[in-house]
Amino acid sequence: MATKKPVLCPHCGAQVMKNGYCSACYMPLAIIRKAYNTSNYYYNIGYDKAVARDLSGAVESLNMLLRYNKKNVMTRNLLGLIYYEMGEVVTALSHWVMSSNYMPNNNIATRYIKALKQDPTQLDSVDQIARKFNMALTYAHNGDLDLSIIQLKTILKDNPHFVKGYLLLALLNIETNHYENARKTLRRVLKIDKANPVAIRYLHKMGDSDENIIRMRMESVENDGLFDEEYMNQVSVTVDGDTLIDGKNEKRVNRHLPSSRVATVKAGEFDVANFARYSGVYVLIGLVLGILIFAFIIMPFKEKRSRIDNSELIQSYSEELASKNSQIQALNMEIQALNDQLNNQIASPTDGVSMPDYSQVEHGMSIEDVQDMIDNE
Amino acid sequence: MINFEEELNRFAPIPDVSQAEEAIYSNDLRDISDIVAQITSEIKDAQSGIQHSMAGRIRR
Repeated sequence: MATKKPVLCPHCGAQVMKNGYCSACYMPLAIIRKAYNTSNYYYNIGYDKAVARDLSGAVESLNMLLRYNKKNVMTRNLLGLIYYEMGEVVTALSHWVMSSNYMPNNNIATRYIKALKQDPTQLDSVDQIARKFNMALTYAHNGDLDLSIIQLKTILKDNPHFVKGYLLLALLNIETNHYENARKTLRRVLKIDKANPVAIRYLHKMGDSDENIIRMRMESVENDGLFDEEYMNQVSVTVDGDTLIDGKNEKRVNRHLPSSRVATVKAGEFDVANFARYSGVYVLIGLVLGILIFAFIIMPFKEKRSRIDNSELIQSYSEELASKNSQIQALNMEIQALNDQLNNQIASPTDGVSMPDYSQVEHGMSIEDVQDMIDNE
Repeated sequence: MINFEEELNRFAPIPDVSQAEEAIYSNDLRDISDIVAQITSEIKDAQSGIQHSMAGRIRR
C-alpha cells in the first residue's frame, strides 16, 4: 500500500493538518493556493505583455502578482529583465538578488548577477548614469532646463534604453517649446516600451492622435537625428552671465533688460563635439604634421650636428698629422747628423785616439798578464 | 496643456549602485500570505487570551 505524501505549508514548510490548516502557522491552505493561482494568472499576463514589448504594462501586472506571491522567482527574474531593458539596472539587480535569495540553486538570476559583477566597467557606467540622471532632475527642479537637457543627452548617448531619461527629456523639450524634439524622444520611448502611458499622455497633450502614435511605433528611430544634431537652439545670455532659455522666459527678461545687455549665442557651442566623425581627417593631419616636423626641424638639426662632428674629426686628424710630420722631420735631422759624424769617423779613424797594440798578445795569456801589458804600454 | 511642475514632481530619483542595498530592502513587500499569517496569529493570540480569562474565571 502506497503511503500518502504529507502536504506542506507553502508559507512556513510545516505539515498541513487534515482540516486544511497549517500545523505551525495555522495558515489556511485554500487561501494560499488561491493566491498562488492568481499570481500565476498575473504572471501569464505580465509575460504576454513583456513579449509584446508593453513593458510598463508587464511591470504593472508583475508588481500586482507580487502582492499575491512575493516569492515567485520567475516573476522576480522577469521583472529584473524588464527593468534592465528600461535602463534601471540597480532596480533590476535588486529583483535578481531577492530571487536568488528565495531560490539559491538552479536560478538564472544568479547568472545575471554574476555577469553584472564580472563587468566593473558596466557597473561604473550604471552608477554614473544614475547620478547624472538625479543631477539632471535637480537642474530641472532648479529651473536650469538647458543644463538638464545637456545632461540627459549625455546619459542617453551612453544608455539608449533609459526610458525615464527619455521621458524627462521629452518633458523638458515640451516646456521649452521644442515639440519636434519631444516627439522624436517619445518615439524612442515607444520603440522600447510600446504602450508607455506617460509617453502616450504627452503625445496626446501635444495634439497627436492615436493613429499618429500607432504610426510612430512603426517608424525607425535609427536616423532620427536626436543625438546627431547639435543642441543649436538659441539661448539668450545676459551680460551678467545669466542663461535664459528661449521662449517665455526670454521675452519676460527682455522686457526688463535693454537690448545691449542681452547677447544671443548658439547653445551648440557648449555641446560635446563629435570627434569620432572626423577621426580619419585628424589622423591624416597628424601624419602630415609629423612628416613636416621631421623634414624641417629634425633632419636639418641632425645634418648640422653631423657636419660639426666631421669638421671636429678632420681638425683633430690634421693636428695629429702635423705633429707626426714635425717629429719625422726632427728624426731625419738627427739621422743626418749621425751620418755626418759617422762619415767623419771613417775619414780619420785615429784622430786623437790611441789604440792599444794587440800584436804582442799570445794565446794562453791570463787576463792579469794582458792587463799588465796594457798598463805598461 | 501639460503642467510642467506637476509632471516634474512625478519623476523620482533612481538609486545608484551605492543605494542598491536600500533598493533591495524596499522591494521586500508584504504579500497575501504575510497578511493572512498576521491575522491568524492575532486571532490565535486573542483566542489564547480568552481561554486564559475563562480558565481564571472557572478557577475562581
